[in-house]
Amino acid sequence: MSDTMLEPVPLAPITVEVEGLTKSFMEDGRGEVRAVAGIDFVCREGEVFGLLGANGAGKTTTLRMLSTVLNPTAGKARVLGFDVETHGEEVRRSLGFHSASTALYPRLTARETLDFFARVNQVPSERVKPRVDRLIERFGIGEYADARVEKLSSGMKQKVAIARTLAHDPPVLIFDEPTVGLDVLNAMSLLEIVEELRSEGRTVIYSSHIMSEAERICDRIAVLHRGQILALGTLEELQDATGLHYLQDIFVKFVREAEAERQ
Amino acid sequence: MGSFLRDLGVLYRRELRSALRERSIVVNGILIPIFLYPVLLWSLFTALTFVQGQSEGFVSRVVIPDPGPFPELTAALADRSDVRLVEGLAPDSLSALVDRGEIDAVVRYEAAAALPGNVGVRVSFDRSEGRSRNAIERIDETVDSLRAIRLAREAAALGLDTVALRVFEVEAEDVATDEEGGRLFLAIVLPLFLTLMVALGCFIPAVDATAGERERSTWETLWTTGASRGSIVLAKYLLVATIGALAGVLNVAAISLSLGSILTPLFGDQAEAMGLALPLDAIPVMMAVAVLLALLFAALMMVLAVFARTFKEGQAMVVPAYYLAVLPALLGSSPDRGLTPSVALVPVANVALGLKDAILGRDEPALLLVAFFVNLACVVGCLLLARSLVLREEVVTGTFEGSFWSWLRKRRRP
Repeated sequence: MSDTMLEPVPLAPITVEVEGLTKSFMEDGRGEVRAVAGIDFVCREGEVFGLLGANGAGKTTTLRMLSTVLNPTAGKARVLGFDVETHGEEVRRSLGFHSASTALYPRLTARETLDFFARVNQVPSERVKPRVDRLIERFGIGEYADARVEKLSSGMKQKVAIARTLAHDPPVLIFDEPTVGLDVLNAMSLLEIVEELRSEGRTVIYSSHIMSEAERICDRIAVLHRGQILALGTLEELQDATGLHYLQDIFVKFVREAEAERQ
Repeated sequence: MGSFLRDLGVLYRRELRSALRERSIVVNGILIPIFLYPVLLWSLFTALTFVQGQSEGFVSRVVIPDPGPFPELTAALADRSDVRLVEGLAPDSLSALVDRGEIDAVVRYEAAAALPGNVGVRVSFDRSEGRSRNAIERIDETVDSLRAIRLAREAAALGLDTVALRVFEVEAEDVATDEEGGRLFLAIVLPLFLTLMVALGCFIPAVDATAGERERSTWETLWTTGASRGSIVLAKYLLVATIGALAGVLNVAAISLSLGSILTPLFGDQAEAMGLALPLDAIPVMMAVAVLLALLFAALMMVLAVFARTFKEGQAMVVPAYYLAVLPALLGSSPDRGLTPSVALVPVANVALGLKDAILGRDEPALLLVAFFVNLACVVGCLLLARSLVLREEVVTGTFEGSFWSWLRKRRRP
């Protein structure tokens, strides 16, 4: 019998682990507000993990905890085995963070930007220049590599911003609503880059409220609502669980059920 | 430690490169200190001298409604080329005419009670008008010379020597050399300008390195890099302090190099004799004061600017600190004030006065040392506060809506 059984496909190593992660804020007039309420998930090497949720669902707060900008109120999160609370610097060196805004220094050139982010993320001095040259070539920004960022078009800035995220060759990448404000072509080009990054074996945590993007690039999707994960799985698993085809319908079903239960 | 210093170097170079490419920082931190203030001073003194010269060149228009009791004065004033006696005006409108600037002074005589034959002279003038002030000076001068002639005549009639009638002769002898006078001038001007310039130099970089960073959305990106949080804060702080110190030192150098030429319109040839250059022995104290003030102002301004979410908001939050920082330096503007043990405990004022004493060559090392440590303690306090604020989540994410003061009030609330 064992001769006829398929060998189980070994799972890729875990790169990000989140257990009971919670974040509360004190707000005037509202008291304690739980932005993230005890979520659990893991991400693996070579996976695009989608965090899908409406505005205010807790996506950015979760990503901020993973990137050590915020400290969790409770729970644990580890990136490549490093605890976000106790080994912040190691965590940050292992990940690249890309947000909706390109967040570039306008008075630096594209080359200086990449050089700075490589060095500040501890790339050894002798490896900085080859790394920067490689990124300039990869993203086709050689023509304007020595122009100040403030002079670039938004599409060019977008490329520089992604190259900057990769300056230190991080194995884990966080994309927080990266296509907000981009035109269709630039958004498409960004999604293609994310797919490339996955094929390189990197872990990508991709937060979005745009269903079509998540459908296209995410290997697994977590539906986040009011700080809680309502559902987690591959698109097929979510389709099977709900009997619905489109991610948008699946998302709405989970959210409406959660709201109904709440009331 | 090696990694911290490496991060610090990388971050500092990035901050400096960005700052030196920002027009407002270069203009406020380098160009204004070097060129604008010396040019402003020169223009001010030249304009003052011009106005003074113009006012002295005017002929004073004087009215004497009833010249009868003191005809000698009328005659003496009429003889002066810088006085014109105006006639034919209605006596009851004269004060109003002085007030309107149509004439400069009115001379009226009153009988003096003391001795028969003495005359009281009442002069109406307008002290808010330079021409009118000149007129009364000219009238005083004429009256004095007539008095001297009258006294000499009366004394001769009595067989007395007018020199004997003076009883006391007072002759003032200024033992200060022109150079010492120049040093006093420098000692009053330079500490104030140094303080102003350092504060101005820190102002824009402090806002740019905090609120500007947040406005560009680079703040959070920087926070997600592998650099330690301490090195990020320290690099920003050192950048602000560097520009502040640079602005102060450049300004003092520019002023002390150009002061001779600037003051020539005011002091004439004496300006050269005054040797208006910063004494060599005061230069180390000046440098130390510039650095110390820059460290203090940088920390203070960053504490306030860190709460701002936009550049404009940052500017509004830092302005009060600018005035607060500069105010104590005004203490040094009084010519007779020096560094005393009690003033040595007042930050900013103590180093400004210490520099003043150093320029005058009367500095006491022990008091300078006290002043140094007092400011250093303030620097450390502000820096620790700035660091702890910058590391707060609501500051990092920019979710706190308000200033440092509203943050303090909120914390005090139970």
